Amino acid sequence: MNETVSPLLKVVVGIILLIVVAPLVVPLLMSISDTPFIVFPPQGFTLKWYGAVLANPEARASFLFSLELAAIVTGVSLLLGVPCAAGLTRFKLPGQDAILGLILSPLIVPLIVTGVALLQLFAMLGSRATLLQLVIGHTVVCLPYVIRSVSASLLLVNRNLEDAASVLGAPPHIVATRVIWPQVRPGILAGGIFSFIVSFDDYPISMWLADGNHFPVPLYLYTVIERSFDPSIAAIASLMIFFALLLVLVIEKVFGLSLARLAS
Amino acid sequence: MSRADIIDVTASSSPDLRAAREIPEGWISRLAGKAWSLLSGRYTGYLLVAPTVLFLAAWFLWPVLTMVYLSLTAHSVDGVMVEGFTLENYIRLFSSDLYFRILMRTIRIALMTSLFAALFAYPLAITIARGGPTLARLVTITILAPLLVNVVVRSYGWQTILNKTGALAWVLKLLGVSNPPVLLYTEWAVLIACVHVYLPFVVMPLAGAIGRIDRTVEEAARVAGATRFSVFLRVIFPLSLPGLAVGVSLVFSLSAAAYVTPQILGGNFSPLLGTLIEQQILTLNDWPFGAAISTLLIAMVLASNLIFLKLVSRRFARWTAGAR
Repeated sequence: MNETVSPLLKVVVGIILLIVVAPLVVPLLMSISDTPFIVFPPQGFTLKWYGAVLANPEARASFLFSLELAAIVTGVSLLLGVPCAAGLTRFKLPGQDAILGLILSPLIVPLIVTGVALLQLFAMLGSRATLLQLVIGHTVVCLPYVIRSVSASLLLVNRNLEDAASVLGAPPHIVATRVIWPQVRPGILAGGIFSFIVSFDDYPISMWLADGNHFPVPLYLYTVIERSFDPSIAAIASLMIFFALLLVLVIEKVFGLSLARLAS
Repeated sequence: MSRADIIDVTASSSPDLRAAREIPEGWISRLAGKAWSLLSGRYTGYLLVAPTVLFLAAWFLWPVLTMVYLSLTAHSVDGVMVEGFTLENYIRLFSSDLYFRILMRTIRIALMTSLFAALFAYPLAITIARGGPTLARLVTITILAPLLVNVVVRSYGWQTILNKTGALAWVLKLLGVSNPPVLLYTEWAVLIACVHVYLPFVVMPLAGAIGRIDRTVEEAARVAGATRFSVFLRVIFPLSLPGLAVGVSLVFSLSAAAYVTPQILGGNFSPLLGTLIEQQILTLNDWPFGAAISTLLIAMVLASNLIFLKLVSRRFARWTAGAR
């Protein structure tokens, strides 16, 4: 089996993986440098930049706001997306292709364009509700992922099990909770996690709709990179990388989902 | 006979169901059950789909169509809308040297990102599809984990490498290069970071396509005396084209519309269309022109989907027609 992967290929893959990891490792190294500016290789060792970042009220406010936004967006996406996936997979709807096309099209239109189009619409409507606008913008993008993921697991549901349960006299709510739910749970979970990540990481929609009081983490990071040059930026970047690693662990160990499945 | 009677009858006959009934059911599960039992109605399918369809019609379709419409209008110098349709914005986009250069740069970077991403993706995808389970898992995780790291952070990571005092300059100095080139704030920096950011989007579909290739086809070619390289060129590459097309069209679309990466690594020296939209709308307040660039971006993405997916699938069908 292993014969199909030649040693030369392994070396090439190793080099590519090193390049892939490099931009995530270098900020880690620089964040501990005891110099007032960024320099490679790092000199000395200090954790003071981490202290500075964690004590920064702006950074904390952005982080909390992003968590709140992502949580609301995930809730709304699931609330809209799960019934929609059920409707799409369990019913023959005339015009199903058109409906599917509409649902998936936010994945095709560039996010930056969706964002600017929404800003234009909200300006036309005279809306000032920033949080609501951000929730709407992010939900537009997260819905396709949720619906795709939940539909995929609903299509795999074994209808015979439901029929068997019903024939044996299980009332609908028992069928739903004890037969259908265990089968679609991974799909709903994956869709929820995915929409949380997409919302938490979004830049191209938030850049149009956010304001100073509703300032998600990616926008905050960008402004920090633009205006300061000390290793505290590297410390923030490192914290975000640790956060991502934590997410990988949670997804793989706690939820028992594989990253590869989530991404496909 | 009421529903409760049915439950009682079956509950006594099936211990499993009795156990199920004894578990106190919360209102959530009752509600879910009610909802599920409704799923037999005639219009239920539409009722389930309607909220999402209305949501997307109102907050996606409407704004995007309004924007396309806006791109066909014009406003005079003092900001008053001019009546009627005009192609003025598009003519300006193609006739002005500055804007045309940005358009060409966008297409160039998107194409080169696709090309390099595809080049790097093949070794990775082959290893994922054909390597042992441990190796495949290692490569998959290493490729996918960066997706969870924010794009701003990943772009910043490249800044720390390509900087004048960055890691690359340090390595090159160690290797004896006396005057290492500074890549930061050039098109090369944008290209490198874009390839890094969008690489997973071509690796995964490619690995899927290679995984679906029948191993016996490769073995037959090997037994017949083909070298590893010609097996790749004449078996793996042609049979992996559908996966490559999916990945490349994704990478092209994403990098053509990229904003963060070009901003952080290209600075003000190599803006792409995304930056141009942002400038026209937030700085110059020229909505019709910004809308025209946005519409052009949508058109480019649709065209790339059409070219990569439709064309390749047709060719592919013809190429493999004999093999099936």
